Amino acid sequence: MAILIQLTRTHTPSWFTIKKQLFSTFRRHEKTIRRSMASDPSTGEPTRFDFLVIGGGSGGLAGARRAAELGAKTAVIENHKLGGTCVNVGCVPKKVMWNAAVHAEYLHDHSDYGFDVENVLIHLSDSNAKIQTIHGHATFTNDPEPTVEVNGRKYTAPHILIATGGQPSVLSDAEVPGAHLGITSDGFFELERLPKRSVIVGAGYIAVEMAGILSTLGSKTSLVIRQTGVLRNFDAFISTNCTKELQNTGVDLWKNSQVTSVSKKDSGLEVTIVTKDPEKKNDEEKISTIQEVDCLLWAIGRQPNTSGLNLTELGVDTDERGHIVVDEFQNTSRSGIYAVGDVCGKALLTPVAIAAGRKLAHRLFENKKDSKLDYSSIPTVVFSHPPIGTVGLTEEEAVKLKGKENVKIYKTSFTPMYYALTTRKSPCIMKLVCVGKEETVMGLHMQGLGCDEMLQGFAVAIKMGATKADFDRTVAIHPTSSEEFVTMR
Amino acid sequence: MWSIKLGCFCFDLNSFYLSTLLYLRGQFLPRVTAALQASFSSHSCQYKSLTSKWKYDYDLVVIGGGSGGLACSKEAAQLGQKVAVLDYVEPSLKGTKWGLGGTCVNVGCIPKKLMHQAGLLGTAVKDAKKYGWQIPGPIQHDWVTMAEAVQNHVRSLNWGHRVQLQDKKVKYLNIKGSLVNEHTVRGLTKAGKEMTMTAKNIVIATGGRPKYPTNVPGAMEHGVTSDDIFWLKKSPGKTTARLLTWCLSDVALECAGFLTGIGLDTTVMVRSIALRGFDQQMAGLVTDYMEAYGTKFAWECIPKRVEKLSSGALQVTWTDTKADQEHKDTYDSVLWAVGRAPETKALGLDKLGMQLNKETGKIIVGADESTSVPNIYAFGDIGEGRPELTPTAIKAGKLLARRLAGQSTELMNYDNVPTTVFTPLEYGCVGLSEEEAEKRHGKDGLEVFHAFYKPLEFTVAERDANQCYLKVVCERGGDQRILGLHFTGPNAGEVTQGFALGFQCGATYSHLLSTVGIHPTCAEELTKVNITKRSGLDATVTGC
Repeated sequence: MAILIQLTRTHTPSWFTIKKQLFSTFRRHEKTIRRSMASDPSTGEPTRFDFLVIGGGSGGLAGARRAAELGAKTAVIENHKLGGTCVNVGCVPKKVMWNAAVHAEYLHDHSDYGFDVENVLIHLSDSNAKIQTIHGHATFTNDPEPTVEVNGRKYTAPHILIATGGQPSVLSDAEVPGAHLGITSDGFFELERLPKRSVIVGAGYIAVEMAGILSTLGSKTSLVIRQTGVLRNFDAFISTNCTKELQNTGVDLWKNSQVTSVSKKDSGLEVTIVTKDPEKKNDEEKISTIQEVDCLLWAIGRQPNTSGLNLTELGVDTDERGHIVVDEFQNTSRSGIYAVGDVCGKALLTPVAIAAGRKLAHRLFENKKDSKLDYSSIPTVVFSHPPIGTVGLTEEEAVKLKGKENVKIYKTSFTPMYYALTTRKSPCIMKLVCVGKEETVMGLHMQGLGCDEMLQGFAVAIKMGATKADFDRTVAIHPTSSEEFVTMR
Repeated sequence: MWSIKLGCFCFDLNSFYLSTLLYLRGQFLPRVTAALQASFSSHSCQYKSLTSKWKYDYDLVVIGGGSGGLACSKEAAQLGQKVAVLDYVEPSLKGTKWGLGGTCVNVGCIPKKLMHQAGLLGTAVKDAKKYGWQIPGPIQHDWVTMAEAVQNHVRSLNWGHRVQLQDKKVKYLNIKGSLVNEHTVRGLTKAGKEMTMTAKNIVIATGGRPKYPTNVPGAMEHGVTSDDIFWLKKSPGKTTARLLTWCLSDVALECAGFLTGIGLDTTVMVRSIALRGFDQQMAGLVTDYMEAYGTKFAWECIPKRVEKLSSGALQVTWTDTKADQEHKDTYDSVLWAVGRAPETKALGLDKLGMQLNKETGKIIVGADESTSVPNIYAFGDIGEGRPELTPTAIKAGKLLARRLAGQSTELMNYDNVPTTVFTPLEYGCVGLSEEEAEKRHGKDGLEVFHAFYKPLEFTVAERDANQCYLKVVCERGGDQRILGLHFTGPNAGEVTQGFALGFQCGATYSHLLSTVGIHPTCAEELTKVNITKRSGLDATVTGC
């Protein structure tokens, strides 16, 4: 039983390898995508399309492609990289990093299991649909007919879609001195090497995912949260467990804490944190510092990309946080102008934007009047360690909506069989939120190994209105973790 | 710690006391009770529950302590029945023996999935390098470390089952049971002691055991089966796993998969086709993937004999039926996975005149798991036509217990049974294969949506994803109800369960499409599938 590999922290991954593979591919996308540019001369007369899309992210591209397939003459305006947040600084690179981190966990399990111990091919624009790409920043003009100006040229269409997405919120130096010394999730993917010492600020899913990835890859990571738990808008069962799991995986958690200032020293950043437990009224505020930080990451939320669009002139309403207000059909307050995706501030998820964009294209160019996205029961996965899957109502929401007496909860917690052989263990927790006499399953929440791939099928069934009895009638697949959902009592 | 030990002591004492008592009572009670039963054969539950307490030793005796038998006995006990479960493991030809829990726990699903996991980790190490992890030197696998860990886990499950039986007040008897009459079971202890007990109802859940080929000299002396492979004290070395596929046996492929995964030179010999009964396009993808990852296949070959050479190696001679040629090669081990035979020999079924299927030897059962003999029921692998799967046995056993206790009339629904084959590329499915759907609905009556997708995990690892595929077989007319759903890829078992629930609820193609995908996962591809086979278009998934 010679153990050839000593699995220690010296096995830090070559950060550069991952990055090189990721980004070389993205660069290739741009080349293929920039093939077609608006070629009409600047005559002052706007170039006419059937469908004009502002923003070349997941939602905008999906809508544009579907419209083009349905015969609409379509153009996409993008001022940065095509592909948007998801592909460039969101889901895709995030999941690749997460996979790298998962390998770290596996490496630790290898000795328990007896071991001595072509690039990212995502073609963005390979659709046969013909879409013109216009590179530059879009601004709505004051023309009577909605018109967009890009680099001095004007474009118009009877249907214009705003899909400009969002970006990470940042704090100003006035709010937190030295705030600019930190980065956001956008900057995270540009890191040239794995930080030795990281501080992440925020309690949302992005903060949780980044903390998990950095910590698992071997960076000493602190997570600063304002209250006592992460993911506070998730079901409390998940929120509590995720907070515990973060600590189990070695993340140094600062509860009831806020960053008050950041300063640059020779050895790195010095982050000052104030901590106060609101329940202990007599306690003094505690001020601490974390030193030699080489990565301070703000993950305090996202804001819509609407600046420079000239929306107020256009008569498109926005809410107090700047999100574009749309109805269930993605109509804005100005007719002929639509918005999908993160810029609307609702369900900030790639597939939601894609689905909404496609539904809209079908409504506009296939005359399907009722084509709209149902925003209820949208499944979501958080790539934490271990991953979280959730769909539908939380227990709290169900009780509020339907009354405590009409809500029945089923819960289970177990150690997945994978860990039978390993010294590292992590539980899998599952919960069903059932409503009414029929026990209709209105919510499903889980965290554990494999939950990311478990959720999708359940989401289909829950959308169909599955009841607890339907769960009970389904034969289990043995031995899996997901079978616990159909054998729950 | 102390309380567990104490509990164990009480348990054994009790067992001794009760078995002595049973032995004494068994001599005269059965005849009296049988006569009584005959005169009051009406279905008055009230009468039965009143009398059964003293009329029989037990309300229910279950023969067989596997997944099904344990589930049935525990459920019955929870409903207030007095229950005994008899379990006895006849050692394999190679002398392998194990504890309570049956095939699944000891020599089936559980050790198989764990060793499958070991195989996956072997691939994961190679991937890890692509993900930037620096791992020095070649990776080697130590069989003993893995096997000991797996066996320890299995032993902990054996113990867990005993504790559960005790908690739920099910009498556990480590004896070999056989039938005397419709209310009486005879038990034989390891030491050769005999005892008899009576029961209102008797359930047979003895499952099956792997078969050996009968016409291959040397097969039994020199080969092992799935009863042995998980309990080997040392690595099986260069293994040949021979597969004959006249049954639904997926064991050969699963074993060959993990043996290859931990670095052993493994050959699968296949008589005709792999994974018979499964969708053959999917079966092809599973074996293609295995070939690409190093498992060797000898298609359409039939072994003739196995001889042990003086070096200790096994020389296998076989006929390649394609070319009608004879070949020879040497291996360290030969694993036979030619199907399973029901465990009926010792049950004394012929004396009771119980109807069996002549070909399979399995017990002919009704929809309510009844046999041709009154008061005797059979389910699980031993029942003719029943799927050889743990979850169906567990579910059927629980439902049977509820019916026998008069608590329910619900029958087991054997349709819509999802399953997953844990080959290196996992394959999960529910519903009909494309072939079967074509047979029932005609080619023109089907719309098959399909996609070749690339798991994001594979991209950085630069792995070939040619076999990652899914298809949804739908009715062509109406609302395109789903008839079958098939998926190969990482975590197929976890992916399939939820879709099986949707399938159970009567999902249509549009139900899939109207569900928002979860990005980026493999499972989301099932909600995005839009290319029909009929269209002939390229089904490769592109885009994000």
